[in-house]
Amino acid sequence: MILVTGASRGLGRSVAVRLANKGQEVLGLSRTCSDLPFQNVSCDVSDYGAVKAVAQDLKKGGKEITGIINAAGIASMNLALTTPPSVTQKLIQTNLMGTIYCCQLFAPLMIRRKFGSIINFSTIAVTLGLKGESIYSASKAGVEGFSRAFAREMADFNIRVNCLAPGPIKTDLLKGVRDEQIEAIVSRQVIPKIFIADDVCDLCEFLLGQQSQSISGQVLNVGGA
Amino acid sequence: MNLDSSKKIVGDCISEVTDGKVVPVDDLNLIGKDACLDSMKLVELCLALEDKAAEYGFEFDWTSEAAMSRSQSLFRTLNSLSMEFHAQSQIKQ
Repeated sequence: MILVTGASRGLGRSVAVRLANKGQEVLGLSRTCSDLPFQNVSCDVSDYGAVKAVAQDLKKGGKEITGIINAAGIASMNLALTTPPSVTQKLIQTNLMGTIYCCQLFAPLMIRRKFGSIINFSTIAVTLGLKGESIYSASKAGVEGFSRAFAREMADFNIRVNCLAPGPIKTDLLKGVRDEQIEAIVSRQVIPKIFIADDVCDLCEFLLGQQSQSISGQVLNVGGA
Repeated sequence: MNLDSSKKIVGDCISEVTDGKVVPVDDLNLIGKDACLDSMKLVELCLALEDKAAEYGFEFDWTSEAAMSRSQSLFRTLNSLSMEFHAQSQIKQ
């Protein structure tokens, strides 16, 4: 079974649908359960107790977890000086703490089998240092730092940990962003084009699979940075 | 389950995860400078204790806030870990 957080929308949903269509058993986690074409459970990843409850249910059910995709996240594009403390707190709690909680509580389900792959979602904004994304970037930079160290902690258990860092991807979430803003970011990528969700799904499949067994502790910037 | 049987279980699990290389005694250091286990073995020990607890019909929670915040004492020695294991077995009953 592969766990996907943030599975009700955006890239999390796309990845979960892709994997389910490929015949993988997927359990999607999201704050609001909706009509999704895969198993899903309501879980706010920023709530340690809620994540722990899901982990306990999976353990009781004897589920074998082979992959975890931490795609749950929120964004707030704002200058740091005009970002209210509550928003800063929420960004860190969901993006960083949520990822840490899921890794801490779900990884033991893979340790027994000494096999697995964890993919944590970051953003290309960490490397590019984008104006208006300082708090968001800080939360994701934390994810990258955590992932690099966690990868070493998990290596003895044959569990790989990597980050995917997409730039602007054609999803509904991009609809509210001005074209000039998107172009400004894309032009700084090594491959200056807007990628689509399928490209991210391809990378997820790669990082989950045996073909990437030599890769851990890495951050893959989608499009290059 | 009494404290002695808890110690026996913890001791057996330590022997199991170390392939019998560590002789379990009460004041055996599990963490710190003189630890008999590396961090990987410590995790394996916790998972082994989870399995044992399940056999005895309770859940050994080593990720709880209480267990973690008392980690210095909880994982300090075989004795302290046995006491926590025993305490959790009593709570769940």
